This record gives sequence, structure tokens and C-alpha cells, in this order.
Amino acid sequence: MVTRRRFLELGGISTVSSALAFGAGELAAPDYSLEIAPCEVEIGPKRKIRTVAYNGQVPGPLLRFREGQPVTIEVTNRTENAEVVHWHGLFLRSEVDGAMEEGTPMIAPGARTRMTFVPKPAGFRWYHTHTAANGDFRKAQFSGQHGFLLIEPRENAGAYDQEIFLALHDWDGQMLASDDGSMNASYRYSTVNGKMVGFGEPLRVKDGQRVLFHILNASPTEVHWLAFAGHVFRVVALDGNAVPSPAVVSMLRLAPAERVSAIVEMTNPGVWILGEVRKHVQAAGMAIHVEYANRSGNASWEQPQSLIWNYEQFAAKDDGKRDESGVVEIPLVFESKFRGHGAADHWMINGKSYPDTETIALTRGQRYRLRFKNRSLDDHPVHLHRHSFEVRNASVGGAQKGLMKDVILVDAKTEAAVEFTADNPGMTLFHCHQQDHMDNGFMMLFRYV
Amino acid sequence: MSRMIRRNSVRWCVFALFVAFGLCALPAMAQGNYEIQVYGADTIAPKSTMVELHSNFTPVGQKKFFDGVYPTNHQEHETLEITQGINDWSEIGFYVFTSLQDGHGWQWVGDHIRPRVRVPDSWHWPVGVSLSTEVGYQRAVYSQDTWTWEIRPIIDKSAGRWYFAVNPALERTWHGPDVVQGIGFSPAAKVGYDFTKVVSGGLEYYADYGRITAVSALHDQQQQLFVVTDLNVSPKWEINIGVGVGATASTDHWMVKGILGRHFSWVKQSQVD
Repeated sequence: MVTRRRFLELGGISTVSSALAFGAGELAAPDYSLEIAPCEVEIGPKRKIRTVAYNGQVPGPLLRFREGQPVTIEVTNRTENAEVVHWHGLFLRSEVDGAMEEGTPMIAPGARTRMTFVPKPAGFRWYHTHTAANGDFRKAQFSGQHGFLLIEPRENAGAYDQEIFLALHDWDGQMLASDDGSMNASYRYSTVNGKMVGFGEPLRVKDGQRVLFHILNASPTEVHWLAFAGHVFRVVALDGNAVPSPAVVSMLRLAPAERVSAIVEMTNPGVWILGEVRKHVQAAGMAIHVEYANRSGNASWEQPQSLIWNYEQFAAKDDGKRDESGVVEIPLVFESKFRGHGAADHWMINGKSYPDTETIALTRGQRYRLRFKNRSLDDHPVHLHRHSFEVRNASVGGAQKGLMKDVILVDAKTEAAVEFTADNPGMTLFHCHQQDHMDNGFMMLFRYV
Repeated sequence: MSRMIRRNSVRWCVFALFVAFGLCALPAMAQGNYEIQVYGADTIAPKSTMVELHSNFTPVGQKKFFDGVYPTNHQEHETLEITQGINDWSEIGFYVFTSLQDGHGWQWVGDHIRPRVRVPDSWHWPVGVSLSTEVGYQRAVYSQDTWTWEIRPIIDKSAGRWYFAVNPALERTWHGPDVVQGIGFSPAAKVGYDFTKVVSGGLEYYADYGRITAVSALHDQQQQLFVVTDLNVSPKWEINIGVGVGATASTDHWMVKGILGRHFSWVKQSQVD
């Protein structure tokens, strides 16, 4: 089995070759260029973070693709480490999906690569690094390497007056002992679009507007809860996919890598706070001011008293009439292995840690149900690459259908089930999106026979 | 996600115990062993309190009166330690020392107060570092030195299943015959290993080398080695049990120690805090 470190080395070699080819100047200009490079971002007054980001900004530039229309992206790696860009939520070939475990070549330090693909499906996606941090809180998803990606449908749907993209992120982390006896990541600062609350420009809206918020949790490990004082969200899509039952909610929950698209009717003029519901996280900076036109003054916050969320409210009811006889069930049991109070736990799927996990064979066209059994004390936002899945049972809530996602949070000591059709041949990675969990074995591959 | 320090509580519990030992063990043949603990660097969280009972028994110790001080043989020491977290980098501890012994009944021995500060997590130091200072009184029949002061640097590190801590403590007698001794050096150290998530085992070393400027002869030094176990059964509880052997003529030959601690939080943590 090729280890992650070994794969980095191999991938690096491959990417250098690409860089030499581009050096000949034979190719036309790409549609988009991303430069991965160290930079300093000012997240708050006198609070600067040395990190690595795309094009010197956090989040990276918004990429807008047209569904089905080929796009060429050039990526230059100006860091000292091999890098790779994962196109999260897209149905791509393994070679360009952006995970070296699947076979995507790494981009060696100083190298440049170019990729062309046909973006699909339409919806709110994102891109981010897919490397290992291995305990370095400046690397991988702990860095600023994340950006929005919107694949426009062929026919634009959605009646809104303004579109706003928000990315949540946590910074300056470290591993600390937790109540359950294991080490967990803890952060000093939290930001919205790379800024702590009150620093940077507010979101500017007008009375009567319908604003479509695309919100991404780009935190390396943390689940976040958001509320918008004086307003409610009408959730229309999760992970970029339209939900069967749009619902009005007072707060959003986003696990790492999850996205929520929600319409907010701007009918309450004033200056408001859109921010983390939990006080200590908002105090660390995770909020942003929303300012109506011709309004000023201190931003107002209305503190919710509880955390409310479930996937079921956005799904269609499962009437139990669907023929499930052809669905092949794959049980996946999540467990941790204690490695000392001074070390992060090791993670296992069906008793094994990556790269020793079983690579499960899929048959093209077959419908599969992944039945997750989380026996650990942690919640896990698990992500399936290159496919979307239908949520059939979430940790909270009963049977459901029609809710398409690519990340689902499986709560500690609960079970959940999702279904997907194997319709995109190639190596396919499945993993927990918490960076430290990935780095400690919580990954496995599917292959097509 | 809460970050509160189950491991740390065990550590500092295992540590806190040692202060009184060091204090009372200052002069050769002095009495001590009220709190036998190697301190960890972490402090108690703000708005919470740790209550600990230190129970130490000397099966084989000093059997004769020494300069008017009770013999330690078969003494049972019960020490109540209450530690209040102030903020995320400081705490203050208070001790009540007592002793039970045939012929003397259950006696109050003395009280100490111990403020402590530590390097905050946000500094990202590779090791835990804190500094405690302890001032207190003990009755002359239990220690010739009735007023003592101690300053204790604390350094610790968890690495995988291993845990290391060092407490190079300095002591000073304010009232008693050892005032003339100046500053004494009483280091303590611990090495622990996590056998499971619940059960840890290790060795704790406690010593009193005498004056820092003139180390005592080995015969007059105090040195003890404990085999200990820490049971991490719950974030609310701490349990430390050990058996120690004295390595010099001036040290009690056998000791058994136990710490039972309970953590109390004074704020009802809601989902949104």
C-alpha cells in the first residue's frame, strides 16, 4: 500500500513533468489561475496570521463555472510542500479530483500544473487543499487554503437580489486534553471570510432585498452554528443541492465541509450581527455585521438559548414504498483507538486505519447504502468524493429521502445511512473531514470493478 | 467543544500533593508527608473548584520523638485541599493538614495557602509551565519549623502514552530552627505511562537535598520513590494511589498514599456558552 508520504513524493515527480511542459509556452491562457503561496492575513486589529492561501487571500477567489462547460485551471505551488487542490462536491475523474489517495498527482514545490474538466453538478461547491497536517496547525486545512466554487446551472434558477458568500474558519489551533480523555483541536481565533467580528467591511443590504447566502464551513475540525439576529433563514440547498422541502429556520448548523444556501428576506432594517450562536466562539471572532442602507450604530445580537438543527426537516418523508431490494448495504463502523493522553486518537473504519482499510469494490450502476455506526465519542462529518449521496437516516430523525449531500455529520454513538449510485468510475475516497481524524487513519477508498 | 483537562486534573492532583511533603520534610528527620504529589502545570478552570482528600499512612517511619516532634511511625495524615480556579491561567489552593495517631487522637496540624499561575495555552509552549508559591503554618509538635514558604516551578509534558513532570522546588523557613539554613532544595519528579484510557501507572520521586548552597550528606537527605497509579474514571473525579519507599536513613521507610478528588463547576454550562 502506498503511504501518504510516499504518494506525496511520487505525485511531486509527476507534477514537475507537467510544469516543464507548460514552460514551453504551448498552451492558451487558462480560465482561472490559482497560486498557492505563503501570505500574511490580518484577521483582526493587530492580529496577523502567517498562513498559506490561494492568490494571497482568505478565502480564495470565487470561481464561477458553467455546468457542462469545460474549464481550464492553472495551479502554481509556491510553497515548500507538495500541494493538491480538491474540487469538493464535483463529479470529476480521480486524476483531477484532488486527492492523492485517488491518484491525483501532487503539485511539487515550485511547480505548476494545469487541469481541464467539465464541471458538474450545478450548485455551491468549494475547493481546498487535501494534504496532511500531521500535527502542524499551519498546514493543510488549518491553513487558509479554501475558496468558493459555484457551478451555475444551464438555466439560472433562483429569485434573489444579492448573493453573498461566507466562509467560516478557525485559526491558531493546538491540541488540548478534553473531557473524554482524548486530545482535541482548540482554536484561539474564529473568522467569517477571514475577518473577526467588527473588523473589515460589514455586509451591506437594502430593505426589502432577498439575499441568497452561500455559507461554507471551512473549519478544519469544528462544527459551527450560525444565527442572524432579527432574521430567519429559508434553507433552499444543502451542500449545493436543492432540498426537497425548503424550510425556515432560526439557525444553521454546519459541520466541517458542509454548505448551506439560504434566502434571507431583508425586512428588519438596522445593523445586525450574523454570527456563531455559541458565545465563546463568537467572542473568538466568528461573526459579521450586516448593515442596512442608511442605517448605522452598534450591531444588535439576539442570543438564542439552544442549538436546533436536524437534516430531516429539509428532506421528503419516506413513505416506505420505494423498492430497496436491489440496494447493496455496506456497513461502516467508526471507532477510535486510544494512543495516550498526550496523543490524538487513531481512527478506524471497520477495525482498520488508512492505509490498511479495506478498499471496497463497487459495480457501476449499482445502488449502495452506506450504513454508518459511530461507536466513538466524537461527531464525524464524513465525506464521499466524486459522488453525492442521498440521506436515508440521519443521527437525529427518522427515515427520509430526497436530501442529496456530500457530507453528513454522524453524531457520537449514533447511526446514519446514506445511499448513492456508483456512476462515476474511478478510485473514490471516503473520509472524516476533520483534518486530525483524516491524518490519523479515518479514510478509506472505494474502487470500481 | 469543551477543552477541560481531564488529564491535567490528574496531573496537577498528582502534583499538588507534594507541596506539603516538601515543606514539612525540610530538615532531616522532620515530619511531613501530608500532601505527596508531583504538580502538573495545568490550573483549575475558572468558576470551578477541586476538592481533594489526601490520605497518607506511614507503616514504617520514625519511631522516636525527635526534638519534641511526634514520631511518624503509624501516623495517618488526612489533608483537605481546596483549589479554586481564578481565570484560565491562575488558581489558588488552601490546605488543612491533620494527623491521626495512637495516643494523640485526630489533631489539626496546620494550614497553607498556595496561589499558582501558569503559561496560558495560547502561548503555544511545547511544555506546560507554571509557578506556585505556598505559605503556611504547622504546629511545632509536627514540625519544628512552624512557618514556611515554598516556590515551586512546574514543568510537564505529555507525549503519547508518556507523561513527565519536574518540580524543582525551593523552600525557606520563616520561623523555626531551620531559619538559619537558608533556602533548601526539594525537587520532585514523575514519569507516567497510560496503560489504557483509564489506568495510568508511574513512578514519583520526592527529595530534600538540604541547603541549596550546601547539599546535605546522603544520610541526612530525604529521598522517596513511589510506585503510583492514576485512575481516569471520569472528568469529575481524580484518583491517585501509591506506595513509597524511603531510600535514605532520614526518610520514612514505607508510605502509602491516596488522593481522592472531586471537581465542581459553579456555572451551569448551557449549549450556547
